[in-house]
Amino acid sequence: MSKKTVVCYTLSSCVKCLKCVQACPTSALRMENDRIHVHQEKCINCGRCIKACHSKGLLAQGSTLEDISSYDYTVCMVPSSIISDCASLEEAGELLGSIKQMGFDEVVDLSDIEGQVLEETQMFADQQKGMSWVASFCPVIRRFIEINYPMLLEHIVPIQYPHEIAAKQIRTRLKNKRNVGIFHCCECESKLALAKFPYGNPTYETDHALAMVDLFPKIQHLSKKESIPVCLCREGLQACNPSHIVQKENYLIADGFDKICNILDLAEFDLLKGFDLLMLYPCFNGCIGGHLLWGNSYILQNHIDALTSQKRKPIAQVPFEELYSNEEVEQNESGETFLEKMQFFTSVNDQLEQLPGYDCSACGCQTCRIMAEEIVKGKKSLNDCKILGREKEKNHATENID
Amino acid sequence: MLHKEYLIVKDDYAHAGEVSSAIKQTLSQLSIPTTVLRRIAVACYEAEINMIIHSDGGVITLDVSDEGKVELSFKDVGPGIPDVDKACSPGYSTASEEARSLGFGAGMGLPNIKRVSDHFSIDTSSKGTTLTVAFEAQHE
Repeated sequence: MSKKTVVCYTLSSCVKCLKCVQACPTSALRMENDRIHVHQEKCINCGRCIKACHSKGLLAQGSTLEDISSYDYTVCMVPSSIISDCASLEEAGELLGSIKQMGFDEVVDLSDIEGQVLEETQMFADQQKGMSWVASFCPVIRRFIEINYPMLLEHIVPIQYPHEIAAKQIRTRLKNKRNVGIFHCCECESKLALAKFPYGNPTYETDHALAMVDLFPKIQHLSKKESIPVCLCREGLQACNPSHIVQKENYLIADGFDKICNILDLAEFDLLKGFDLLMLYPCFNGCIGGHLLWGNSYILQNHIDALTSQKRKPIAQVPFEELYSNEEVEQNESGETFLEKMQFFTSVNDQLEQLPGYDCSACGCQTCRIMAEEIVKGKKSLNDCKILGREKEKNHATENID
Repeated sequence: MLHKEYLIVKDDYAHAGEVSSAIKQTLSQLSIPTTVLRRIAVACYEAEINMIIHSDGGVITLDVSDEGKVELSFKDVGPGIPDVDKACSPGYSTASEEARSLGFGAGMGLPNIKRVSDHFSIDTSSKGTTLTVAFEAQHE
């Protein structure tokens, strides 16, 4: 599984407001020596820090279209969430045509594979009941479980990401062509990490991840638009929006980060036994609420029916074994003994009692607990606490008056 | 040695489960094996809810020994359990309508706790109940 963070920091734009530090659900960010540091091992690529940043100090960037020239034959994969931005099939055809015009030899929509992944996920959970399986199409959910809910690791459905399944199919189909480049248009930051470039994750079949937000302006500027006839798979479009998934009594479908944390908590307490499948979308309205899209996700939601009302493509028929992934999940082992951890923990608690407990982040750490950990590690001292510093100053001042 | 105490308030459904979450978080920082952690979490949640529904409040204490033994004790003030054997049998419940309407009180609390814990003891009188569960969490 990818451990590369997509969050890039620009010191010159940063106003040091610490909003990003406070927004992180896994406490992966901290301010140190007057700049933000992102902890690779902890970052889940959810993009909440990027959203919280008002000064463009944090960004996630995809590959650029210039990368097309390094290949002899290029294919661009477009997921359903991006196609949902179109109000009609004609518009969808124009969108795919415009993307092709940017220099690709082929543009492929992923809806049929996304549809198959959705169906296979549901069938998998229906067959292996009593496990509260967590659907695996969102990379943020996978990483979040790895970091914060390790008890649920074995509950993740072992199905590969749709774009990776598609990339493998494309690679096989084009095996006679030389130097094929496979590009993936991404609707959210987290998917930018699921390719060889730009973040350097060599295990993926996809070569380059492109941020959709970078392509929109170029599409607008194309003078003569080409159109490709499109036919979409209804199940694939449904898979990217929680309110379009057909609800069954043994499925739990939810969106929004806070609610998802709550559901994962309940699953850890073994309280969701009645649900065989948890389909969790950290973004509101699912993947059509991805941060790299332009349209309002509530409007996009209405497009889904219109796009699949006339002709429809059936779901893909990728061989069963190619859907499943054998990605090993590594558990973090720090190498410390239990006793060492106990001692560290007790010392942290002792330090924590000295701190004000406001979790104000002014020292650069997200919470007082993290500050206490830094003090025990010897990286910070109680003097770095801004609140304690103010109190000391005040006491000093009153003493002088007396 | 690690020792922590948490206060439980009667009928505080709004905060039900928060202590269990805190304990779960604490123990996960000590890298207790996930299979054991899971059992502790399940027992702790059940017992915490029991205290909120049935007792007049009390204290949960968490003790972790240097050898990796995790002991949880749930000490409450309240009516006590009139028939412990009955309360430990699956499906038996005395929960109020209010509790049931909120999805609690299915009569699986004590049986579940007993099932998942390595040591289980219960001491009850008309003044209150103390439930103690322990887990062997040492790896290697």
